[in-house]
Amino acid sequence: MAIRLEKDIIELVEEDKAVKVLATTDKDGVPHVVFKGSLNIDRDGNLIYLELLESSRTNSNLVNSIWFNKKVAVSVKSEDGRSVQIKGIPVKCHITGPVFEHYYKIISRRIQDADLAAVWVIEPEEIREETYKIRKAEEEKNHPLLLHLDRLAK
Amino acid sequence: MAVELLNKKQTELTLKEVIEKYSDISPYAIIKADVQRRTVVYSERALEAADKNIHQVQARGIFASVGEKHDYMPVSLILRDGLSILTGPVTTLRNAPYVVDKIDGKLYLTDSGELVEEVEYWYKPDFQDKLTSSGKPMWQIATARPQRLDIDPYSYCHFWDKGDGCRFCNMGANFNRSKREFNKPARLDAEDVYETVREALKQPGRFTNIKMTAGSILSGEEIFDDEVEMYIEILQAVGRNFKTKRFPSQIIASAFSEKQLARIYENTGVMSFTSDMEVLNEKLFASVCPGKSKLVGYKEWKRRIFAAVDIFGRGFVNTGIVGGVETAQPGGFTTEEDALKATLEEAEDFAQHGVSTVHCVWVPYPGSVFQNQNNPSLEYYVRLSKGLYELRKKYDLSIDMDNYRRCGNHPDSDLDRVL
Repeated sequence: MAIRLEKDIIELVEEDKAVKVLATTDKDGVPHVVFKGSLNIDRDGNLIYLELLESSRTNSNLVNSIWFNKKVAVSVKSEDGRSVQIKGIPVKCHITGPVFEHYYKIISRRIQDADLAAVWVIEPEEIREETYKIRKAEEEKNHPLLLHLDRLAK
Repeated sequence: MAVELLNKKQTELTLKEVIEKYSDISPYAIIKADVQRRTVVYSERALEAADKNIHQVQARGIFASVGEKHDYMPVSLILRDGLSILTGPVTTLRNAPYVVDKIDGKLYLTDSGELVEEVEYWYKPDFQDKLTSSGKPMWQIATARPQRLDIDPYSYCHFWDKGDGCRFCNMGANFNRSKREFNKPARLDAEDVYETVREALKQPGRFTNIKMTAGSILSGEEIFDDEVEMYIEILQAVGRNFKTKRFPSQIIASAFSEKQLARIYENTGVMSFTSDMEVLNEKLFASVCPGKSKLVGYKEWKRRIFAAVDIFGRGFVNTGIVGGVETAQPGGFTTEEDALKATLEEAEDFAQHGVSTVHCVWVPYPGSVFQNQNNPSLEYYVRLSKGLYELRKKYDLSIDMDNYRRCGNHPDSDLDRVL
Protein backbone atom coordinates (compact mmCIF):
# COMPACT_ATOMS: atom_id res chain seq x y z
CA MET A 1 0.00 0.00 0.00
CA ALA A 2 1.44 3.37 -1.02
CA ILE A 3 2.38 5.85 1.69
CA ARG A 4 3.12 9.56 1.65
CA LEU A 5 6.64 10.66 2.48
CA GLU A 6 6.95 13.27 5.24
CA LYS A 7 8.61 16.59 4.49
CA ASP A 8 11.79 15.71 6.41
CA ILE A 9 12.23 12.48 4.41
CA ILE A 10 11.73 14.31 1.13
CA GLU A 11 14.34 16.86 2.16
CA LEU A 12 16.72 14.07 3.13
CA VAL A 13 16.40 12.35 -0.27
CA GLU A 14 16.79 15.65 -2.08
CA GLU A 15 19.91 16.62 -0.15
CA ASP A 16 22.78 17.08 -2.59
CA LYS A 17 25.37 15.42 -0.39
CA ALA A 18 23.20 12.50 0.71
CA VAL A 19 24.46 9.02 -0.18
CA LYS A 20 21.71 7.07 -1.95
CA VAL A 21 21.69 3.35 -2.55
CA LEU A 22 19.21 1.31 -4.58
CA ALA A 23 18.74 -2.40 -3.93
CA THR A 24 16.93 -4.61 -6.43
CA THR A 25 16.65 -8.34 -6.99
CA ASP A 26 16.73 -10.38 -10.15
CA LYS A 27 14.26 -13.08 -11.17
CA ASP A 28 16.06 -15.62 -8.97
CA GLY A 29 16.03 -13.31 -5.96
CA VAL A 30 19.73 -12.44 -6.20
CA PRO A 31 20.27 -8.94 -4.75
CA HIS A 32 22.01 -6.12 -6.57
CA VAL A 33 22.97 -2.96 -4.68
CA VAL A 34 24.37 0.20 -6.26
CA PHE A 35 24.95 3.86 -5.43
CA LYS A 36 22.45 5.97 -7.37
CA GLY A 37 22.90 9.69 -6.99
CA SER A 38 20.06 10.38 -9.41
CA LEU A 39 17.37 9.17 -6.98
CA ASN A 40 14.92 11.94 -6.24
CA ILE A 41 11.30 12.70 -5.37
CA ASP A 42 8.60 13.85 -7.80
CA ARG A 43 5.63 16.12 -7.18
CA ASP A 44 3.44 13.16 -6.24
CA GLY A 45 5.86 12.06 -3.54
CA ASN A 46 7.17 9.08 -5.50
CA LEU A 47 10.82 8.20 -5.83
CA ILE A 48 12.29 8.93 -9.25
CA TYR A 49 15.26 6.99 -10.51
CA LEU A 50 17.00 7.94 -13.75
CA GLU A 51 18.50 4.90 -15.49
CA LEU A 52 21.36 5.78 -17.80
CA LEU A 53 22.27 2.29 -19.03
CA GLU A 54 19.50 0.36 -20.75
CA SER A 55 21.15 -3.03 -20.36
CA SER A 56 22.21 -2.54 -16.74
CA ARG A 57 21.46 -5.10 -14.06
CA THR A 58 19.49 -2.51 -12.08
CA ASN A 59 17.30 -1.70 -15.08
CA SER A 60 16.67 -5.38 -15.74
CA ASN A 61 15.81 -5.93 -12.08
CA LEU A 62 13.42 -2.97 -12.07
CA VAL A 63 11.65 -4.47 -15.08
CA ASN A 64 11.47 -7.71 -13.14
CA SER A 65 9.96 -5.78 -10.21
CA ILE A 66 7.25 -4.02 -12.20
CA TRP A 67 6.36 -7.25 -14.01
CA PHE A 68 6.18 -9.47 -10.95
CA ASN A 69 5.36 -6.98 -8.20
CA LYS A 70 8.71 -7.31 -6.38
CA LYS A 71 9.77 -4.60 -3.95
CA VAL A 72 12.96 -2.59 -4.15
CA ALA A 73 14.74 -0.73 -1.34
CA VAL A 74 16.39 2.65 -1.23
CA SER A 75 18.73 3.62 1.56
CA VAL A 76 19.63 7.27 2.08
CA LYS A 77 22.22 8.68 4.47
CA SER A 78 22.73 12.40 4.98
CA GLU A 79 25.99 14.18 5.67
CA ASP A 80 25.01 14.53 9.36
CA GLY A 81 24.46 10.78 9.73
CA ARG A 82 20.70 10.51 9.52
CA SER A 83 19.69 7.39 7.60
CA VAL A 84 16.37 5.99 6.36
CA GLN A 85 15.36 3.07 4.25
CA ILE A 86 12.38 3.31 1.90
CA LYS A 87 10.86 0.18 0.44
CA GLY A 88 8.68 0.59 -2.61
CA ILE A 89 7.42 -0.84 -5.84
CA PRO A 90 8.16 0.42 -9.37
CA VAL A 91 4.85 1.53 -10.88
CA LYS A 92 5.90 3.23 -14.08
CA CYS A 93 8.75 3.19 -16.55
CA HIS A 94 8.85 6.26 -18.78
CA ILE A 95 10.80 5.57 -21.96
CA THR A 96 9.11 8.29 -24.01
CA GLY A 97 6.79 11.26 -23.59
CA PRO A 98 6.98 14.56 -21.74
CA VAL A 99 8.22 13.19 -18.40
CA PHE A 100 11.02 11.27 -20.12
CA GLU A 101 12.03 14.25 -22.22
CA HIS A 102 11.98 16.55 -19.17
CA TYR A 103 14.52 14.37 -17.37
CA TYR A 104 16.47 13.73 -20.59
CA LYS A 105 17.18 17.45 -20.81
CA ILE A 106 18.12 17.68 -17.12
CA ILE A 107 20.52 14.75 -17.24
CA SER A 108 22.06 15.94 -20.52
CA ARG A 109 22.91 19.25 -18.84
CA ARG A 110 24.30 17.53 -15.76
CA ILE A 111 26.34 14.77 -17.42
CA GLN A 112 27.60 15.55 -20.89
CA ASP A 113 27.76 12.01 -22.29
CA ALA A 114 24.71 10.69 -20.47
CA ASP A 115 22.03 8.93 -22.53
CA LEU A 116 18.87 8.46 -20.50
CA ALA A 117 17.34 5.00 -20.89
CA ALA A 118 14.38 5.18 -18.53
CA VAL A 119 12.72 7.23 -15.84
CA TRP A 120 11.48 4.88 -13.14
CA VAL A 121 8.74 5.88 -10.75
CA ILE A 122 8.89 3.99 -7.45
CA GLU A 123 5.90 4.26 -5.14
CA PRO A 124 6.98 4.21 -1.48
CA GLU A 125 5.26 1.58 0.66
CA GLU A 126 7.32 1.51 3.85
CA ILE A 127 9.82 3.74 5.63
CA ARG A 128 12.27 2.49 8.20
CA GLU A 129 14.45 4.72 10.37
CA GLU A 130 18.04 3.51 10.15
CA THR A 131 19.90 6.25 12.04
CA TYR A 132 22.06 4.39 14.55
CA LYS A 133 21.22 6.51 17.62
CA ILE A 134 17.50 6.18 17.04
CA ARG A 135 17.67 2.46 16.28
CA LYS A 136 19.86 1.89 19.37
CA ALA A 137 17.36 3.64 21.62
CA GLU A 138 14.55 1.52 20.17
CA GLU A 139 16.57 -1.65 20.68
CA GLU A 140 17.27 -0.90 24.35
CA LYS A 141 13.64 -0.05 25.00
CA ASN A 142 12.11 -3.01 23.19
CA HIS A 143 14.75 -5.70 23.84
CA PRO A 144 16.33 -5.05 27.26
CA LEU A 145 17.59 -8.66 27.38
CA LEU A 146 19.72 -8.32 24.28
CA LEU A 147 23.05 -6.99 25.44
CA HIS A 148 26.42 -8.22 26.74
CA LEU A 149 26.73 -8.35 30.53
CA ASP A 150 30.22 -6.85 30.58
CA ARG A 151 28.63 -3.61 29.51
CA LEU A 152 26.68 -3.57 32.80
CA ALA A 153 29.54 -4.72 35.01
CA LYS A 154 30.82 -2.44 37.87
CA MET B 1 -15.77 -26.70 -38.86
CA ALA B 2 -18.14 -24.37 -36.95
CA VAL B 3 -18.49 -26.92 -34.14
CA GLU B 4 -14.71 -27.38 -34.01
CA LEU B 5 -14.19 -23.64 -33.68
CA LEU B 6 -16.81 -23.38 -30.97
CA ASN B 7 -15.13 -26.18 -29.03
CA LYS B 8 -11.73 -24.54 -29.48
CA LYS B 9 -13.04 -21.25 -28.16
CA GLN B 10 -14.55 -22.95 -25.12
CA THR B 11 -11.30 -24.73 -24.28
CA GLU B 12 -9.03 -21.73 -24.73
CA LEU B 13 -7.62 -20.30 -21.52
CA THR B 14 -8.65 -16.78 -20.59
CA LEU B 15 -6.12 -13.96 -20.16
CA LYS B 16 -6.20 -14.40 -16.38
CA GLU B 17 -5.71 -18.14 -16.65
CA VAL B 18 -2.80 -17.74 -19.05
CA ILE B 19 -1.11 -15.21 -16.75
CA GLU B 20 -1.52 -17.63 -13.83
CA LYS B 21 -0.28 -20.63 -15.80
CA TYR B 22 2.78 -18.84 -17.20
CA SER B 23 3.75 -17.07 -13.99
CA ASP B 24 7.38 -16.71 -15.14
CA ILE B 25 6.36 -14.70 -18.21
CA SER B 26 5.73 -10.97 -18.05
CA PRO B 27 2.00 -10.36 -17.56
CA TYR B 28 2.46 -7.17 -19.56
CA ALA B 29 3.81 -9.10 -22.55
CA ILE B 30 0.89 -11.52 -22.23
CA ILE B 31 -1.64 -8.68 -22.11
CA LYS B 32 0.04 -7.13 -25.13
CA ALA B 33 -0.12 -10.36 -27.14
CA ASP B 34 -3.80 -10.78 -26.33
CA VAL B 35 -4.64 -7.18 -27.19
CA GLN B 36 -2.82 -7.60 -30.50
CA ARG B 37 -4.61 -10.89 -31.10
CA ARG B 38 -8.04 -9.42 -30.39
CA THR B 39 -7.29 -5.73 -31.17
CA VAL B 40 -8.98 -2.74 -29.50
CA VAL B 41 -11.82 -0.33 -29.93
CA TYR B 42 -12.18 3.00 -28.13
CA SER B 43 -15.06 4.29 -26.04
CA GLU B 44 -16.34 7.81 -26.77
CA ARG B 45 -14.68 9.01 -23.56
CA ALA B 46 -11.39 7.44 -24.61
CA LEU B 47 -11.53 9.07 -28.02
CA GLU B 48 -12.26 12.44 -26.42
CA ALA B 49 -9.13 11.97 -24.30
CA ALA B 50 -6.97 11.76 -27.43
CA ASP B 51 -5.65 15.28 -27.91
CA LYS B 52 -4.31 15.95 -31.39
CA ASN B 53 -1.92 18.52 -29.95
CA ILE B 54 -0.35 16.00 -27.58
CA HIS B 55 -1.04 12.52 -28.85
CA GLN B 56 -0.29 10.79 -32.11
CA VAL B 57 -3.66 10.53 -33.83
CA GLN B 58 -2.51 10.78 -37.42
CA ALA B 59 -0.02 8.49 -39.17
CA ARG B 60 0.63 7.18 -42.63
CA GLY B 61 1.93 3.64 -42.62
CA ILE B 62 2.63 0.94 -45.13
CA PHE B 63 -0.07 -1.37 -43.75
CA ALA B 64 -2.54 1.16 -42.39
CA SER B 65 -3.13 4.85 -42.05
CA VAL B 66 -4.86 6.82 -39.32
CA GLY B 67 -6.39 10.27 -39.51
CA GLU B 68 -5.80 10.84 -43.23
CA LYS B 69 -9.21 12.48 -43.51
CA HIS B 70 -9.05 14.11 -40.08
CA ASP B 71 -10.70 10.99 -38.69
CA TYR B 72 -8.30 11.09 -35.78
CA MET B 73 -7.76 8.12 -33.53
CA PRO B 74 -4.95 7.02 -31.19
CA VAL B 75 -2.28 5.38 -33.34
CA SER B 76 -1.29 2.93 -30.62
CA LEU B 77 -0.86 2.33 -26.90
CA ILE B 78 1.90 2.07 -24.32
CA LEU B 79 1.73 0.15 -21.05
CA ARG B 80 3.03 1.26 -17.63
CA ASP B 81 6.23 -0.76 -18.00
CA GLY B 82 7.07 0.89 -21.33
CA LEU B 83 5.88 -1.88 -23.64
CA SER B 84 4.08 -0.73 -26.75
CA ILE B 85 0.96 -2.33 -28.12
CA LEU B 86 0.67 -1.80 -31.85
CA THR B 87 -2.94 -2.36 -32.65
CA GLY B 88 -6.01 -0.78 -34.12
CA PRO B 89 -9.67 -1.64 -34.33
CA VAL B 90 -10.54 -4.83 -36.24
CA THR B 91 -14.05 -5.90 -35.44
CA THR B 92 -14.29 -8.93 -37.72
CA LEU B 93 -12.31 -11.32 -35.52
CA ARG B 94 -13.65 -14.34 -33.63
CA ASN B 95 -12.86 -12.78 -30.24
CA ALA B 96 -14.32 -9.40 -29.37
CA PRO B 97 -11.79 -6.58 -29.16
CA TYR B 98 -10.67 -5.04 -25.87
CA VAL B 99 -12.15 -1.63 -25.13
CA VAL B 100 -9.99 1.35 -24.17
CA ASP B 101 -11.97 3.49 -21.75
CA LYS B 102 -11.34 6.57 -19.63
CA ILE B 103 -12.13 5.93 -15.98
CA ASP B 104 -11.40 8.32 -13.08
CA GLY B 105 -9.22 10.42 -15.34
CA LYS B 106 -7.04 7.54 -16.54
CA LEU B 107 -7.08 5.33 -19.63
CA TYR B 108 -7.55 1.62 -19.17
CA LEU B 109 -7.78 -1.49 -21.29
CA THR B 110 -11.05 -3.14 -20.34
CA ASP B 111 -12.58 -6.47 -21.19
CA SER B 112 -16.32 -7.02 -20.72
CA GLY B 113 -16.36 -3.99 -18.42
CA GLU B 114 -13.49 -5.21 -16.21
CA LEU B 115 -10.26 -3.22 -15.86
CA VAL B 116 -7.26 -5.03 -17.32
CA GLU B 117 -4.39 -2.52 -17.20
CA GLU B 118 -3.68 1.19 -17.44
CA VAL B 119 -2.46 2.50 -20.81
CA GLU B 120 -1.34 5.73 -22.39
CA TYR B 121 -1.57 6.94 -25.96
CA TRP B 122 1.60 7.42 -27.98
CA TYR B 123 2.89 10.96 -27.94
CA LYS B 124 3.06 13.13 -31.00
CA PRO B 125 6.55 14.00 -32.23
CA ASP B 126 7.45 17.67 -32.65
CA PHE B 127 7.98 17.32 -36.41
CA GLN B 128 4.48 15.95 -37.01
CA ASP B 129 2.72 19.09 -38.26
CA LYS B 130 5.67 20.67 -40.06
CA LEU B 131 6.10 20.79 -43.82
CA THR B 132 9.05 19.83 -45.99
CA SER B 133 10.40 22.52 -48.34
CA SER B 134 8.39 20.84 -51.11
CA GLY B 135 5.25 21.44 -49.04
CA LYS B 136 4.56 17.90 -47.85
CA PRO B 137 3.35 17.31 -44.28
CA MET B 138 6.15 15.52 -42.46
CA TRP B 139 3.73 13.04 -40.86
CA GLN B 140 3.28 11.66 -44.37
CA ILE B 141 7.02 11.10 -44.70
CA ALA B 142 7.82 9.48 -41.37
CA THR B 143 5.87 8.06 -38.46
CA ALA B 144 6.99 7.97 -34.87
CA ARG B 145 6.93 5.00 -32.57
CA PRO B 146 7.71 5.79 -28.93
CA GLN B 147 11.47 5.81 -29.63
CA ARG B 148 11.79 4.89 -33.30
CA LEU B 149 11.40 6.85 -36.50
CA ASP B 150 9.77 4.80 -39.25
CA ILE B 151 10.23 5.58 -42.92
CA ASP B 152 8.53 3.55 -45.61
CA PRO B 153 10.25 4.66 -48.82
CA TYR B 154 8.15 2.47 -51.09
CA SER B 155 4.59 1.50 -50.26
CA TYR B 156 3.72 -1.11 -52.83
CA CYS B 157 4.89 -4.71 -53.09
CA HIS B 158 5.47 -5.98 -56.62
CA PHE B 159 4.85 -9.57 -55.69
CA TRP B 160 1.22 -8.43 -56.06
CA ASP B 161 1.79 -7.64 -59.77
CA LYS B 162 0.96 -11.25 -60.55
CA GLY B 163 -1.20 -11.79 -57.50
CA ASP B 164 1.57 -13.55 -55.61
CA GLY B 165 1.79 -11.30 -52.56
CA CYS B 166 1.89 -12.84 -49.10
CA ARG B 167 -1.54 -14.12 -48.12
CA PHE B 168 -1.69 -12.45 -44.71
CA CYS B 169 -0.54 -9.08 -46.05
CA ASN B 170 -2.75 -6.09 -46.81
CA MET B 171 0.02 -3.85 -48.16
CA GLY B 172 -1.25 -4.04 -51.74
CA ALA B 173 -4.87 -3.41 -50.76
CA ASN B 174 -3.86 -0.61 -48.41
CA PHE B 175 -1.75 1.09 -51.07
CA ASN B 176 -4.45 0.87 -53.74
CA ARG B 177 -7.04 2.33 -51.38
CA SER B 178 -4.66 5.04 -50.13
CA LYS B 179 -3.74 6.02 -53.66
CA ARG B 180 -7.39 6.23 -54.64
CA GLU B 181 -8.62 8.05 -51.54
CA PHE B 182 -5.83 10.48 -50.78
CA ASN B 183 -3.40 10.23 -53.66
CA LYS B 184 -0.65 8.54 -51.69
CA PRO B 185 2.52 8.23 -53.78
CA ALA B 186 4.28 4.87 -53.95
CA ARG B 187 7.74 6.33 -53.42
CA LEU B 188 9.07 8.96 -51.05
CA ASP B 189 11.35 11.72 -52.21
CA ALA B 190 14.85 11.51 -50.71
CA GLU B 191 15.03 15.23 -49.95
CA ASP B 192 11.70 15.10 -48.09
CA VAL B 193 13.11 12.25 -46.03
CA TYR B 194 16.33 14.15 -45.31
CA GLU B 195 14.41 17.20 -44.11
CA THR B 196 11.99 15.20 -41.99
CA VAL B 197 14.78 13.33 -40.23
CA ARG B 198 16.64 16.61 -39.70
CA GLU B 199 13.56 18.04 -38.02
CA ALA B 200 12.96 14.89 -35.96
CA LEU B 201 16.47 15.02 -34.53
CA LYS B 202 15.78 18.47 -33.05
CA GLN B 203 13.65 16.85 -30.35
CA PRO B 204 16.04 15.74 -27.60
CA GLY B 205 15.49 12.20 -26.35
CA ARG B 206 12.74 11.35 -28.83
CA PHE B 207 14.35 8.74 -31.08
CA THR B 208 16.87 5.94 -30.68
CA ASN B 209 16.59 4.29 -34.08
CA ILE B 210 15.56 4.77 -37.69
CA LYS B 211 13.78 1.94 -39.43
CA MET B 212 12.97 1.62 -43.09
CA THR B 213 10.78 -0.89 -44.78
CA ALA B 214 9.18 -1.15 -48.17
CA GLY B 215 7.37 -3.50 -50.44
CA SER B 216 9.55 -5.73 -52.59
CA ILE B 217 10.75 -4.21 -55.87
CA LEU B 218 11.58 -7.06 -58.22
CA SER B 219 13.07 -5.11 -61.12
CA GLY B 220 16.71 -4.58 -62.01
CA GLU B 221 19.47 -6.57 -63.64
CA GLU B 222 19.36 -8.95 -60.71
CA ILE B 223 16.09 -9.38 -58.79
CA PHE B 224 15.76 -6.62 -56.12
CA ASP B 225 18.52 -4.44 -57.66
CA ASP B 226 16.13 -1.48 -57.91
CA GLU B 227 15.00 -2.00 -54.31
CA VAL B 228 18.65 -1.92 -53.23
CA GLU B 229 19.23 1.32 -55.13
CA MET B 230 16.19 2.87 -53.50
CA TYR B 231 17.42 2.00 -49.99
CA ILE B 232 20.87 3.37 -50.81
CA GLU B 233 19.42 6.66 -52.02
CA ILE B 234 17.15 7.13 -49.01
CA LEU B 235 19.67 5.93 -46.43
CA GLN B 236 22.29 8.28 -47.84
CA ALA B 237 19.81 11.13 -47.55
CA VAL B 238 19.13 10.19 -43.91
CA GLY B 239 22.86 9.79 -43.25
CA ARG B 240 23.54 13.42 -44.19
CA ASN B 241 22.01 14.31 -40.84
CA PHE B 242 24.63 12.49 -38.75
CA LYS B 243 28.24 13.27 -37.89
CA THR B 244 29.14 9.58 -37.81
CA LYS B 245 29.00 7.28 -40.81
CA ARG B 246 26.91 4.68 -38.98
CA PHE B 247 23.77 5.48 -37.04
CA PRO B 248 21.39 3.10 -35.17
CA SER B 249 19.15 1.90 -37.95
CA GLN B 250 17.45 -1.09 -39.52
CA ILE B 251 16.09 -1.99 -42.91
CA ILE B 252 13.40 -4.62 -43.25
CA ALA B 253 13.79 -5.65 -46.85
CA SER B 254 13.74 -8.44 -49.38
CA ALA B 255 16.36 -11.18 -49.13
CA PHE B 256 19.20 -9.49 -50.94
CA SER B 257 22.19 -11.34 -52.39
CA GLU B 258 25.58 -11.01 -50.71
CA LYS B 259 26.63 -8.57 -53.44
CA GLN B 260 23.56 -6.40 -52.83
CA LEU B 261 23.95 -6.55 -49.05
CA ALA B 262 27.59 -5.53 -49.25
CA ARG B 263 26.66 -2.66 -51.52
CA ILE B 264 24.09 -1.34 -49.06
CA TYR B 265 26.37 -1.80 -46.05
CA GLU B 266 29.35 -0.12 -47.65
CA ASN B 267 27.47 2.80 -49.18
CA THR B 268 25.17 3.75 -46.31
CA GLY B 269 25.18 4.06 -42.54
CA VAL B 270 22.69 1.27 -41.91
CA MET B 271 23.59 -0.96 -38.97
CA SER B 272 21.13 -3.86 -38.99
CA PHE B 273 19.25 -5.98 -41.48
CA THR B 274 15.99 -7.85 -41.33
CA SER B 275 14.42 -9.98 -44.01
CA ASP B 276 11.19 -11.66 -43.07
CA MET B 277 10.70 -15.38 -43.64
CA GLU B 278 7.06 -14.82 -42.54
CA VAL B 279 6.53 -18.54 -41.89
CA LEU B 280 9.19 -21.06 -40.88
CA ASN B 281 8.19 -23.98 -43.04
CA GLU B 282 9.13 -24.59 -46.67
CA LYS B 283 5.81 -26.06 -47.71
CA LEU B 284 3.78 -23.30 -46.08
CA PHE B 285 6.16 -20.66 -47.44
CA ALA B 286 5.10 -21.76 -50.93
CA SER B 287 1.40 -21.28 -50.17
CA VAL B 288 1.58 -18.30 -47.79
CA CYS B 289 4.29 -16.38 -49.67
CA PRO B 290 3.93 -17.62 -53.27
CA GLY B 291 5.86 -14.73 -54.82
CA LYS B 292 8.87 -15.10 -52.54
CA SER B 293 8.74 -18.84 -53.03
CA LYS B 294 8.57 -18.77 -56.83
CA LEU B 295 11.19 -16.10 -57.47
CA VAL B 296 13.70 -16.82 -54.71
CA GLY B 297 12.61 -19.95 -52.86
CA TYR B 298 12.57 -20.83 -49.16
CA LYS B 299 16.07 -22.31 -49.00
CA GLU B 300 17.67 -19.42 -50.87
CA TRP B 301 15.75 -16.76 -48.90
CA LYS B 302 17.01 -18.39 -45.74
CA ARG B 303 20.57 -18.79 -47.03
CA ARG B 304 20.73 -15.09 -47.92
CA ILE B 305 19.66 -14.12 -44.38
CA PHE B 306 22.38 -16.34 -42.95
CA ALA B 307 24.89 -14.73 -45.33
CA ALA B 308 23.90 -11.28 -44.05
CA VAL B 309 25.46 -12.14 -40.68
CA ASP B 310 28.90 -12.14 -42.32
CA ILE B 311 28.30 -8.56 -43.44
CA PHE B 312 26.28 -6.98 -40.62
CA GLY B 313 27.52 -9.13 -37.74
CA ARG B 314 25.97 -11.45 -35.22
CA GLY B 315 23.11 -9.75 -33.37
CA PHE B 316 22.58 -7.32 -36.25
CA VAL B 317 20.50 -9.61 -38.46
CA ASN B 318 17.12 -11.10 -37.75
CA THR B 319 14.03 -12.45 -39.44
CA GLY B 320 10.40 -11.81 -38.71
CA ILE B 321 7.54 -14.26 -38.76
CA VAL B 322 3.82 -13.65 -38.71
CA GLY B 323 3.20 -15.68 -35.58
CA GLY B 324 0.22 -17.93 -36.00
CA VAL B 325 -0.07 -17.79 -39.78
CA GLU B 326 1.34 -21.33 -39.80
CA THR B 327 -2.14 -22.42 -38.69
CA ALA B 328 -3.92 -20.70 -41.60
CA GLN B 329 -6.02 -23.01 -43.74
CA PRO B 330 -5.92 -24.73 -46.09
CA GLY B 331 -2.54 -26.32 -45.68
CA GLY B 332 -1.50 -24.97 -42.30
CA PHE B 333 -0.86 -27.02 -39.19
CA THR B 334 -4.08 -28.35 -37.75
CA THR B 335 -2.88 -28.40 -34.14
CA GLU B 336 -1.14 -25.61 -32.28
CA GLU B 337 1.23 -28.16 -30.77
CA ASP B 338 2.54 -29.22 -34.20
CA ALA B 339 2.75 -25.61 -35.40
CA LEU B 340 4.76 -24.57 -32.37
CA LYS B 341 7.13 -27.52 -32.54
CA ALA B 342 7.90 -27.00 -36.24
CA THR B 343 8.34 -23.25 -35.89
CA LEU B 344 10.68 -23.41 -32.92
CA GLU B 345 12.76 -26.19 -34.47
CA GLU B 346 13.33 -24.09 -37.56
CA ALA B 347 13.93 -20.94 -35.48
CA GLU B 348 16.71 -22.84 -33.73
CA ASP B 349 18.43 -23.37 -37.08
CA PHE B 350 18.36 -19.60 -37.58
CA ALA B 351 19.70 -19.00 -34.06
CA GLN B 352 22.54 -21.46 -34.68
CA HIS B 353 23.52 -19.29 -37.64
CA GLY B 354 23.45 -16.08 -35.58
CA VAL B 355 20.01 -14.93 -36.70
CA SER B 356 17.25 -14.07 -34.22
CA THR B 357 13.63 -14.78 -35.02
CA VAL B 358 11.00 -12.34 -33.81
CA HIS B 359 7.28 -12.72 -34.21
CA CYS B 360 4.38 -10.39 -34.57
CA VAL B 361 0.84 -11.48 -33.86
CA TRP B 362 -1.09 -12.55 -36.92
CA VAL B 363 -4.30 -10.60 -37.28
CA PRO B 364 -6.42 -11.69 -40.26
CA TYR B 365 -6.78 -8.15 -41.50
CA PRO B 366 -9.58 -7.13 -43.83
CA GLY B 367 -8.03 -6.75 -47.26
CA SER B 368 -5.72 -9.74 -46.84
CA VAL B 369 -6.42 -13.11 -48.50
CA PHE B 370 -6.68 -14.64 -45.01
CA GLN B 371 -9.18 -12.05 -43.79
CA ASN B 372 -11.84 -14.54 -42.74
CA GLN B 373 -9.56 -16.87 -40.81
CA ASN B 374 -8.93 -17.15 -37.08
CA ASN B 375 -5.67 -16.60 -35.26
CA PRO B 376 -4.44 -19.08 -32.62
CA SER B 377 -5.06 -19.03 -28.87
CA LEU B 378 -3.32 -16.65 -26.48
CA GLU B 379 -1.50 -19.60 -24.96
CA TYR B 380 0.03 -20.33 -28.35
CA TYR B 381 1.48 -16.83 -28.53
CA VAL B 382 2.87 -17.03 -25.02
CA ARG B 383 4.59 -20.33 -25.77
CA LEU B 384 5.92 -19.00 -29.08
CA SER B 385 7.30 -15.86 -27.40
CA LYS B 386 8.87 -17.89 -24.61
CA GLY B 387 10.39 -20.32 -27.11
CA LEU B 388 11.96 -17.62 -29.27
CA TYR B 389 13.25 -15.76 -26.20
CA GLU B 390 14.80 -18.96 -24.82
CA LEU B 391 16.55 -19.62 -28.14
CA ARG B 392 18.18 -16.21 -27.92
CA LYS B 393 19.36 -17.03 -24.41
CA LYS B 394 20.64 -20.44 -25.49
CA TYR B 395 22.65 -19.00 -28.37
CA ASP B 396 23.57 -15.72 -26.63
CA LEU B 397 21.96 -13.57 -29.32
CA SER B 398 21.33 -9.88 -28.70
CA ILE B 399 18.03 -8.42 -29.91
CA ASP B 400 18.91 -4.76 -29.33
CA MET B 401 18.10 -4.08 -32.99
CA ASP B 402 14.45 -5.09 -32.59
CA ASN B 403 13.72 -4.85 -28.89
CA TYR B 404 10.76 -3.41 -26.98
CA ARG B 405 12.03 0.11 -27.40
CA ARG B 406 13.09 -0.01 -31.03
CA CYS B 407 10.18 -1.86 -32.65
CA GLY B 408 7.75 -2.77 -29.91
CA ASN B 409 5.77 -5.17 -32.05
CA HIS B 410 7.27 -8.43 -30.84
CA PRO B 411 6.06 -9.98 -27.56
CA ASP B 412 9.06 -12.33 -27.64
CA SER B 413 11.69 -9.59 -27.69
CA ASP B 414 9.85 -7.79 -24.87
CA LEU B 415 10.96 -10.68 -22.67
CA ASP B 416 14.62 -9.89 -23.38
CA ARG B 417 14.32 -6.85 -21.10
CA VAL B 418 15.07 -9.11 -18.16
CA LEU B 419 18.61 -10.44 -18.25
